[in-house]
Amino acid sequence: MTKIGLEIHCQLTKLESKLFCPCKANYREFEPNHNICPVCMGLPGSLPRLNQKAVESATSIALALNCQTPEKIAFFRKNYFYPDLPKNFQITQLNVYGDMSVGGEGYVDVEGKKIKIRRIQLEEDPGRLIYEGASDRTKITLVDYNRAGTPLVEIVTDPDFENPRQVRIFLNILSDLLENLGVAEPGLEGAMRADGNVSIEGGNKVEIKNIGSFHDLEKALHFELTRQQSLSERDIDIVMETRHWDDRRKITVSSRSKEEDQDYRYFLENDIPWVKIEQTTRDVLKENMPESISSKKERYVEKFDIAPQVAEIIASDRYYSQLFENAYSEQNAKDIANLITTDVIGFIDTKEKQQKSKITSKHLSDLIDAINAKTITRNSAKVALQEIVKSGKDTKLILQEMDLGQVSDSSEIDAIISQIFEDEKQAVIDAKERPETVNFLVGKVMQKTKGKADPVKTLELIKSKLNQ
Amino acid sequence: MNLNTSILKYIEDVKSGSFTVEEFTAATLQRIKDVDEAVHAYLSLNDSAINDAKKIDQKISSGEKIGQCYGFPISIKDNICITGTKTTCASKILENFIAPYTSTVVNHLQNEDAVITGKTNLDEFAMGLTTEFSAYGPTKNPWNLDYVPGGSSGGSAASVAANECLASLGSDTGGSVRNPASFCSVVGLKPTYGLISRYGLISYANSIEQIGPMTKTVKDSAFLLNIIAGQDANDDTTIDNDNANYLENIENGIEGKKIGIIKEMTTSDGLSSEVSAATKDAINDFESLGASCEEVTLPTIPYTVAAYYTITSTEAGSNLARYDNIRYGYEMDSEGYEYNSYISKSRTRFGPEVTRRIILGGFVPSAGHAGKYFLKALKVKSKLISEINSAFEKFDYLIAPTAPVQPFRFGEKIDDPVTLMLLDYNTVTANLTGKPAISVPYRISNGLPIGMQIMANSLQEKSLFQAAYALETKTKLPEVPL
Amino acid sequence: MVDEDEIIRVAKLMKIDLEDHGEHVSRVKKMLEYFDILDQIDLSSEEITSQQKSLNELRKDEFIPYDKKLIESLKNFREHYVRAPKMN
Repeated sequence: MTKIGLEIHCQLTKLESKLFCPCKANYREFEPNHNICPVCMGLPGSLPRLNQKAVESATSIALALNCQTPEKIAFFRKNYFYPDLPKNFQITQLNVYGDMSVGGEGYVDVEGKKIKIRRIQLEEDPGRLIYEGASDRTKITLVDYNRAGTPLVEIVTDPDFENPRQVRIFLNILSDLLENLGVAEPGLEGAMRADGNVSIEGGNKVEIKNIGSFHDLEKALHFELTRQQSLSERDIDIVMETRHWDDRRKITVSSRSKEEDQDYRYFLENDIPWVKIEQTTRDVLKENMPESISSKKERYVEKFDIAPQVAEIIASDRYYSQLFENAYSEQNAKDIANLITTDVIGFIDTKEKQQKSKITSKHLSDLIDAINAKTITRNSAKVALQEIVKSGKDTKLILQEMDLGQVSDSSEIDAIISQIFEDEKQAVIDAKERPETVNFLVGKVMQKTKGKADPVKTLELIKSKLNQ
Repeated sequence: MNLNTSILKYIEDVKSGSFTVEEFTAATLQRIKDVDEAVHAYLSLNDSAINDAKKIDQKISSGEKIGQCYGFPISIKDNICITGTKTTCASKILENFIAPYTSTVVNHLQNEDAVITGKTNLDEFAMGLTTEFSAYGPTKNPWNLDYVPGGSSGGSAASVAANECLASLGSDTGGSVRNPASFCSVVGLKPTYGLISRYGLISYANSIEQIGPMTKTVKDSAFLLNIIAGQDANDDTTIDNDNANYLENIENGIEGKKIGIIKEMTTSDGLSSEVSAATKDAINDFESLGASCEEVTLPTIPYTVAAYYTITSTEAGSNLARYDNIRYGYEMDSEGYEYNSYISKSRTRFGPEVTRRIILGGFVPSAGHAGKYFLKALKVKSKLISEINSAFEKFDYLIAPTAPVQPFRFGEKIDDPVTLMLLDYNTVTANLTGKPAISVPYRISNGLPIGMQIMANSLQEKSLFQAAYALETKTKLPEVPL
Repeated sequence: MVDEDEIIRVAKLMKIDLEDHGEHVSRVKKMLEYFDILDQIDLSSEEITSQQKSLNELRKDEFIPYDKKLIESLKNFREHYVRAPKMN
């Protein structure tokens, strides 16, 4: 019986400031140690000041994950020495005097299986270490505290996962959910990390830490499962321990009882009073939460008769759903949805491309209008899209500049058909004998008109010409 | 120039033109030159004090708006940060630490045109009762240089008592303002927890400590509290004090008030005979002022010293963990060391008392022992709070002598840790409960000071000052023989 | 009775080097023995409490840059990194 549990850390990069001071929450644009102040550097005499919106965001996450949320929350000190910790303690949450972290006892549905969320807590990220030097003997440690104090939400699951595939699906669902809530940007490098724990056949639990990305997590889980299985096959006991993921060698390595010696001496962080979270606050947060992904998907399917897979793609991605929501009308919702999932997605398939793209909802509605009015063909629309994404220019302008207007004038098409009939005499004979090959001729007309010919009309005219 | 004056009298004199700010400051600096080699109240002096004084004189003569302080000289305990100044906490580990920011309380003082004379000596990181644990040598009691000035704010108390300034800001975690105030015959206040911002006060036990004014008179204390008290955006533990004016109605007296004499703090076998006698006389004085005095018992008090040291060593162990000499501290090259050996080596710079408290602070909250020590101590705190709240339902004030003994000679108590801890017996209750408490100089007996402590309920500083002022009117004390 | 070995182990955890400070162990032991007094008081009905604040009294989420030169006033290394000893 394989049991896998996760400990996920998610940075709240959509906040303006850090958890306990007004330095920037998203530290990535700064030179080393240029996003610091006396508080996040833990200078003597400095005091933490809790960020209201961080508490609200964390509570929203707890609500979105179906958690219980307490009436008041408290913070604790986790004491240990490490160069990335300016105070040599981390301010975090713990359920020591009752349930006082932002949330707990929730769940996420993964393909029908309920994965239990044991606890959600708010805490500060430490700084970052860089190791410099030619060999292990000469290495010094360089520290950048820009990240110290960045707000983190830690999400701890029960060991409910049965295999690494479930883990992957869960993480995708969780990323989409957090992004949809507008509190996090899981696509940012290092913004979401996960540690795991693994046990097989009711044996000892092994924790795996130091995993850099979700990709590495899956590898680490696979490796650890294999390691435990092979030990078990040889009747060797699996030691309960903490191991760390060695990214270079792609294996898990025992952490040499460093963790076991630790005593964190948890006690209340008295510089931060307990914070009362009224029921009304929770109600308002729930009300103001963006619509959930599953609710959006349901709405798209039921209200607009959009195919479930199409609805799934758009609902799950905040970028596409925003594009869609602002573009559709009662009549064209289905068309817009299809346009997004068939063509747009091909041009904007990564978070970076989403950031850079210049397309707006108006572009989409203009395009659909043009297609339905038969001003352009579907093919031409695709060409136009590429340019729209790049330049963001007005749709009509682009259609003009690129000469993408549909050719629907019968005499124009006729003239081209006559030309094709001249050039493709054998194809004409084939078409007369086997009507199903007529598409070759249609294709040639489309080629000649660079896709602008109205395909329906073209087929009509070719058929009638063949019958002459 | 008479340096043995009060802040309020000083301000009157400056306003009336009896002397300029520069003149008084110069005289103060001269006094420091004359006596501080013997007293050793100061660790560092403010080089620009005279210039600051000159600027204030200019403001006065040009009719510009001037802050309430009119340039009176004040010293600051060296665990409170001022930009650009060395802030050492009397420790070798912060030997070269120059604070890059200013504490809120000093900001208030500077905005109101006070003149900072310098930083004063303390027990290292505020852990101690005699200032003997300073890494830079002890401060002497101005009343008798062979005797301790009390601690941990010994330098602050001595600087005021020796007329080396008109006031000082100390910090009080278990009695560290009141105890030296009593030993040096000055007024020392520990306010309600959260009344004064701790932003810039280098933490020792952050759940109970407060900055406290140390002055010659009760009215001066109220004046200074007006300047530095109030909610601060930089400190989440500060509370709203409704912009109270602590000087208002300070002379109202205590007619009809009910005073509780804390039995556990006034048993004759716990006090020296001089302190016991002084306490009896103080009770008579309160009664002659129209208050009624009655004994009250707080049965948790005998456990408070153990609870206090358990809680404070836990917090100190955590608050002092940041001193690993990596981000700031003193010069020590990391060549040849790995991380753990480097920080252990750098932390050998802590003095003996701090070292011991840190070890204690690792022990009492640790996984195997928290139940026996730390959690129990927290519950003692809760129990004490209920007891004292009940007492304040019946009484307006609770009184006891500030210290169970008078000042003693250097080296006399330093070897037995339990004897030393018990000096705090009468003062830790106010810290554990967060209630305000003031020590008022009461008597000089055999040349050594005795102070009386008055406690009031939370945020009742105005009432507390009324009682303290009333008692002060009953005292007539000699001048310091220095 | 407090175990002296345990005191030494704790000192190590707190990064306190006891090589030249052996005399501290007995003094710490004495203080711990004094704390035994805590066993004599009935605390069964006591709860742990704290200061409380409501959500809207907390700091508003605003980015306020601090002095860029802060790192220069602390111990730093080339390109503004802080230098720490090598990790094991």
